[in-house]
Amino acid sequence: MLKILVCVKQIPDVDLVKMDPETGNLVRTGVPTLTNPLDLNALEAAVQTKERFGGEITLITMGPPMAESTLRECLAVGGDEAILITGRPFGGADTLSTSYTIVKAAEMKGSFDLIFCGKETMDGATGQMASQLAERFDASQISCCYSIEDIADGKVRATRTLETGKEIVEATLPCLITVEKDRFYGRLPNLKAYLAAKTAEITTYTENDIDGLDPEKIGVPGSGTIVPRIYPPELPEPGQIINTGSVRTDVGRLLELLAEKDSI
Amino acid sequence: MASYNKLTPEIAAQLRAVVGERRFFVGEAVDPNYGHDEMPIYGKHLPEAAVDVETTEEVSEIMKICHANRIPVTCRGAGTGLVGGCVPLAGGLVLCTRRMNKILDYDMENLVVRIQPGVLLKDLAADALEHGLMYPPDPGEKTATVGGNISTNAGGMRAVKYGVTRDYVLALTVVLADGRIIELGKSVCKTSSGYSLLHLMVGSEGTLGIITEMTMKLIPKPICDVSCLLPFRDVEACIHSVPKIKLANLDPQSIEFMDADIVTSSAAFTGNPIFPETVNNEEVGASILVTFVGADEEELDQKMITLGKVAEKAGAMDVLVVATSSNKKAAWSARSSFLTAIEADTKLIDEMDVVVPVDKIPDFLIYIRRLGDENGIRIRNFGHAGDGNLHIYCCSNDLEEEEFKRRVKIIMDKAYTKCAELEGQVSGEHSIGHAKMVYLRESVGEDVFRLMSDIKKVFDPEGILNPGKVCDDTLAG
Repeated sequence: MLKILVCVKQIPDVDLVKMDPETGNLVRTGVPTLTNPLDLNALEAAVQTKERFGGEITLITMGPPMAESTLRECLAVGGDEAILITGRPFGGADTLSTSYTIVKAAEMKGSFDLIFCGKETMDGATGQMASQLAERFDASQISCCYSIEDIADGKVRATRTLETGKEIVEATLPCLITVEKDRFYGRLPNLKAYLAAKTAEITTYTENDIDGLDPEKIGVPGSGTIVPRIYPPELPEPGQIINTGSVRTDVGRLLELLAEKDSI
Repeated sequence: MASYNKLTPEIAAQLRAVVGERRFFVGEAVDPNYGHDEMPIYGKHLPEAAVDVETTEEVSEIMKICHANRIPVTCRGAGTGLVGGCVPLAGGLVLCTRRMNKILDYDMENLVVRIQPGVLLKDLAADALEHGLMYPPDPGEKTATVGGNISTNAGGMRAVKYGVTRDYVLALTVVLADGRIIELGKSVCKTSSGYSLLHLMVGSEGTLGIITEMTMKLIPKPICDVSCLLPFRDVEACIHSVPKIKLANLDPQSIEFMDADIVTSSAAFTGNPIFPETVNNEEVGASILVTFVGADEEELDQKMITLGKVAEKAGAMDVLVVATSSNKKAAWSARSSFLTAIEADTKLIDEMDVVVPVDKIPDFLIYIRRLGDENGIRIRNFGHAGDGNLHIYCCSNDLEEEEFKRRVKIIMDKAYTKCAELEGQVSGEHSIGHAKMVYLRESVGEDVFRLMSDIKKVFDPEGILNPGKVCDDTLAG
């Protein structure tokens, strides 16, 4: 039976996050959260794989306690068990310490044949996690997966999307896969699974529960990068829409404005 | 046949003097879009002049001039209608209310809002939510003006629970054909005070007066909501589940119907296949989307559990939950895209908006599909299953326009006859305009049609308000 790990992340609804102009910090208070959409595409690929080849899906996330709702959302559409890594020492982690923490926590459940993750998150958008996880799991990696053709004899064969076409590749297990979102739209949960997921047991790991965890490699101490400042891009002056309903009037007004700016 | 005067340079000068140079357009300066709405198959008719109004007083002055000179006046909002309602059949003047787009004030004690007619539905809906309130009517066309919604008595998806636009109009300021300004209704919850001219004005499509200010009822914003998608193998089973859902005491906010064809079109158009075309490798024939609102998640879970039992008995293939914000956004944007999806892959299109008793929906759909097949016309449909209101589109990419119109007329004539047999109504929410007048006349009978015409004459003895619409057959010759 295939053991499949799917990495997911709860993110703030990026459409609603605003930036504090004074501090440059993202204001997340009161902003609704959602599951990173690309992670749901990865989960769908995992569920389709499970349906075709058999297996069991373990979900894993790191975040505050409320990230549990993301795990329940994913359990409802095909996850079998879920791990939440949570605790203050994990806070402020960059991708280096996050990938370390996720691999150490996942190892508590043994080894995995396939690891699926979204190719990036909508909030951080570093796109670094997949490759770091593949390296730490000592797994091969298939990116931009268009379809999984076969899994047999310790190998996975998949079609990848290239800029100029497609290619079929074969990789040994364990293998980490990121997918094309247009090929793996997330499904709606059915009612039974939705309700069952609400009360499903979730394994919660704090920094004290993970075997062999090096405190120097998690959270801020384990991070290789710091973010000194976040600031919005400078936007050009917004355009002006002239639409009075009359083309003649609109053109007249446009000519007036251009003349005012000495453009004509 | 009605006769009107031409808009002379002298009359134009009088009208221009009311609003100023910048808001008065004559001849070629008139926006060509003012000659049609979103169903151009019903013909294009440009006005001689157009005016953008900003106040009730301006509308009054303009109507006095047009009344004195017998100039026809067609009121227009965003032009999103589907029955030619805002098309100036007799030329004359188009009076556009889109600049009257202010939300004037909220009365938070009585949950009412006072607005101008050119406020867009989407703007009122969003603004009310920011005030912790909800404007319940939810017609699909969110860029329509609320004034237009009142003029057509628009319904929308939430009509099952909350009713239609009419139910949320408390008071109106109206300019009559001769320029007099009247106030109809009050900001109160009930009235038993003579004939309700307020409700006569709602749905009158600009034929009785020009609405210049509205007081609308709001409700507290629901705390939480969830939707369930019920896929069925065929349309019959799908529709037969609707009365069972309504009888289960679940008080759904909406029950929307979609057949397999429209789901496929929408998925191709939006690139968003949120509504499944198969369940467990079996093809879905039709689905309904049921939405609930409640005080908390527990209440919604209970409603879904009951719905699940009803759905199983009714033969649903599954019950799928639309609970996350991402899925809600995807589901409702797919649902809202149905008409656009049809328009995107169709060259010629005509529509009907009948409403039949809910249990008669399958009979009507089977009949209309057969008519489509017999006449070589592609039929697409979706609608509000909870209230029996169906949006049926006749489509073609191959036929010449005249041949398309000939075939569609055959379909429409028979379909409206069938609708009458099933005790249905000509229009659920798009109104009559000029496109459906002949079918309204057949549907209500000569006595009722004449009463409507007589009422029109009381309000507008010169017949200058939106000639040729609803029950005014004087342009027909």
